[in-house]
Amino acid sequence: MSSIQNRRQEYRSLFKQNVAKRLLVDKIVRIIVFSCVIIAIIPLGSILVEVFKNGITAISIEFLTDTPGSVGSGEGGIGPAIQGTLIIIGLSSLIGVPIGVMSGIFLSEYGDNKLAKSVRFFNDVFMEFPSIILGIFAFLIIVLVLGHFSVWAGAFALSLIMFPIVARTTEESLKMVPTTYREAGTALGLTKWIITFRIVISAAKSGMVTGILLSVSRIGGETAPLIMTILGSSQFFSSMDTPMDALPLRIWRLSLLPYDSAQLQGWGAALVLIMIILGINLGIRYYFANKKKYFLQKFD
Amino acid sequence: MTRLIDPSLHKLSFIMSEMGDMVIESISMAIDSYLTGTNTKEQVLKLSDSIRAKYFEVEDLTFDMLLKYQPVADDFRLIRSSTEISYAFSRFGRYAYDITLVRDLFGDVSECTNASLVESTKKVKHMIKEAVLSFAELDIRKAIEIREDEKFIDRIYRERLPKLIESTNTRCALAEALLLRYLERIGDHAVFMSDAINYIVTGKHRPTDERIASHTKTEQN
Amino acid sequence: MTALSTKPTDMETSNLTNIDSKSAESKYKMIAENVTVSYDGIDAVKNVTMKFKEKSVTALIGPSGCGKTTFLRCLNRMHDMTKNAKVTGKVMIDDIDLYSKDIDPIYHRRKVGMVFQKPNPFPTMSIFDNVTAGLRLNGIRDKRILDEIVEDSLKMAYLWDEVKNDLKKSAIELSGGQQQRLCIARALAIQPEVLLMDEPASALDPIATQKIEETITELKKDYAIIIVTHNMQQAIRVSDYTGFMYLGDLIEFRETKKLFTDPKDELTAKYVQGHFG
Repeated sequence: MSSIQNRRQEYRSLFKQNVAKRLLVDKIVRIIVFSCVIIAIIPLGSILVEVFKNGITAISIEFLTDTPGSVGSGEGGIGPAIQGTLIIIGLSSLIGVPIGVMSGIFLSEYGDNKLAKSVRFFNDVFMEFPSIILGIFAFLIIVLVLGHFSVWAGAFALSLIMFPIVARTTEESLKMVPTTYREAGTALGLTKWIITFRIVISAAKSGMVTGILLSVSRIGGETAPLIMTILGSSQFFSSMDTPMDALPLRIWRLSLLPYDSAQLQGWGAALVLIMIILGINLGIRYYFANKKKYFLQKFD
Repeated sequence: MTRLIDPSLHKLSFIMSEMGDMVIESISMAIDSYLTGTNTKEQVLKLSDSIRAKYFEVEDLTFDMLLKYQPVADDFRLIRSSTEISYAFSRFGRYAYDITLVRDLFGDVSECTNASLVESTKKVKHMIKEAVLSFAELDIRKAIEIREDEKFIDRIYRERLPKLIESTNTRCALAEALLLRYLERIGDHAVFMSDAINYIVTGKHRPTDERIASHTKTEQN
Repeated sequence: MTALSTKPTDMETSNLTNIDSKSAESKYKMIAENVTVSYDGIDAVKNVTMKFKEKSVTALIGPSGCGKTTFLRCLNRMHDMTKNAKVTGKVMIDDIDLYSKDIDPIYHRRKVGMVFQKPNPFPTMSIFDNVTAGLRLNGIRDKRILDEIVEDSLKMAYLWDEVKNDLKKSAIELSGGQQQRLCIARALAIQPEVLLMDEPASALDPIATQKIEETITELKKDYAIIIVTHNMQQAIRVSDYTGFMYLGDLIEFRETKKLFTDPKDELTAKYVQGHFG
């Protein structure tokens, strides 16, 4: 018996020897990690502060609703740009979201075959495509063919950006739904599509909606594709076949002008854009933080 | 792989074998005391009390095992039968003591010994040894012999009793009647014991009706 | 080797379970014949034949990996959902082979209800919606019928009294034991004739387990129940017949009490006494 106790003494003293060093390494790592976080946050924080500082003075009701005034006059607003951003986001979603969701459902629920593997691969590649190339693509096949810049082209381009993201997040959310619910549905004699649409999707809802809204906030800030497709304008929306304004375009235009008043308006527009995108993001998180967590089983 | 129940099973088997040895000893001693006239009342009493103490130990142990381990199959049958067998052992010890009491009460009755008494006591000693061995080895072939022995003892009992009523030697008659009675009871319990052993090995009891009726046997055995 | 004159048709009069004295005459509700399941060429269930009487409980026991759950899932064609699983043989309910090419598996699958090891009520639905899921999602919407079935099923699952005042509550707010009874009610709502249960109480605490066992004992009056269990005492308590499987083979299948007090097969005796597994 005492030989075991002797060995235990030996082992314990081994542990003691390493402790000081391990605690030190632990501390160092913690400091490094913490500093990295700070380094990452500082730029983001300072951007927000800069934008807010510079843009807040430009904000007023007129600024938000008027059309742009004559160049350099310092009058007018960004009304059409705000309207345009909302319209283009809406239209793109109408196209991109259903296609993306359907692809995601296909990949997750019916996707155990070679076709799905290739689709997934192309999806991932597509997600990384530079958005300007997608803009050029839309330019070539819609703008050039129809002969003019149009909202259709812009919605098309942005939907191309949206749909791989939506497909991916939908697939991931659906995959997170435990198989046991599908089995329960099968055991009840339900067909596969009912199980997918009425049970699995409803359980994956929060993940899917998060994915969709995140893709929305992504396209809200896209500029390059818009340049090639809706071009920008100083008027409110007139028709689907004409150019339209949008916040990224307006910001870009305003920032290039040499006038201080234009610069100020640019900051204001940037602030509005950030507010819209932040609003969507924070809105999602707040909403879902308050909803019940569906997958937390009670451990009692 | 040692199961949790194994140490308890070993303990049970040890106690039962101790009891078996004590049963053989006490019955031999008691019968000899009657036949040869020695008074072994005190020793047999001690043995009988020990057997009885072990009976309670076995009860506690078996129920403890049922509570803790919920045994099944062979384990279960062994444990169930062990309770019945240890009760039979305790009865053997008791009857052995009763027999020594006859000797103690009546004095030396060795002259009352007759041929059938010698036969039946020999059978009983044989039967007890067979019963204990049969349990130790879980050998049910011995059960046949036990039943035959018991039938013999029964027959002697039924034949001798009427004769004893007519007997003129009251002292011998009474002593013999008591002895035969105890031998008959020992025989009965030996058969119960062999039933229990059979249950361990084959998993079967005798049919219920038979088991009920064996308690009050009729003339047509 | 019997020395005593015991007749072969002895009546066991011990009082461990109530064996239906008419058991020899009741008909078979489900018969599984020569069922073999293989995954990628390896047989998980080898040519197993079992018959299940109506209004009885059959337990399937055996060490992990012996194929009992795989076999259970054949009985309602769950393996249709599994890749690479090949099932041969017949599973007959009242003379209709579930695996026959001529029948609609989805329709007939509803004759067999299933309850899973870990309670899995649909997380986004209320208690009411969960119980009626098998009906509503199949197009049955008559409120009156649904209300009746909900009450009926929850009563059979011994859950009605605990939830009757709040059927709109979310299913996942119930305790583990209640969730499992909810799953039983959900399975019963589609009016099956056979109920399959895959270790239904293994994830539950002892009190909840007891309630499930009570439920099973009541349900047995109307259904043929087949339950896979790791808990031998549970098999002894609730089942009338027990099948012992090992490495895909059915080793022994008998009345529960006989199998556990006097198993015929050496392997069965070893397993039930805890010598392996």
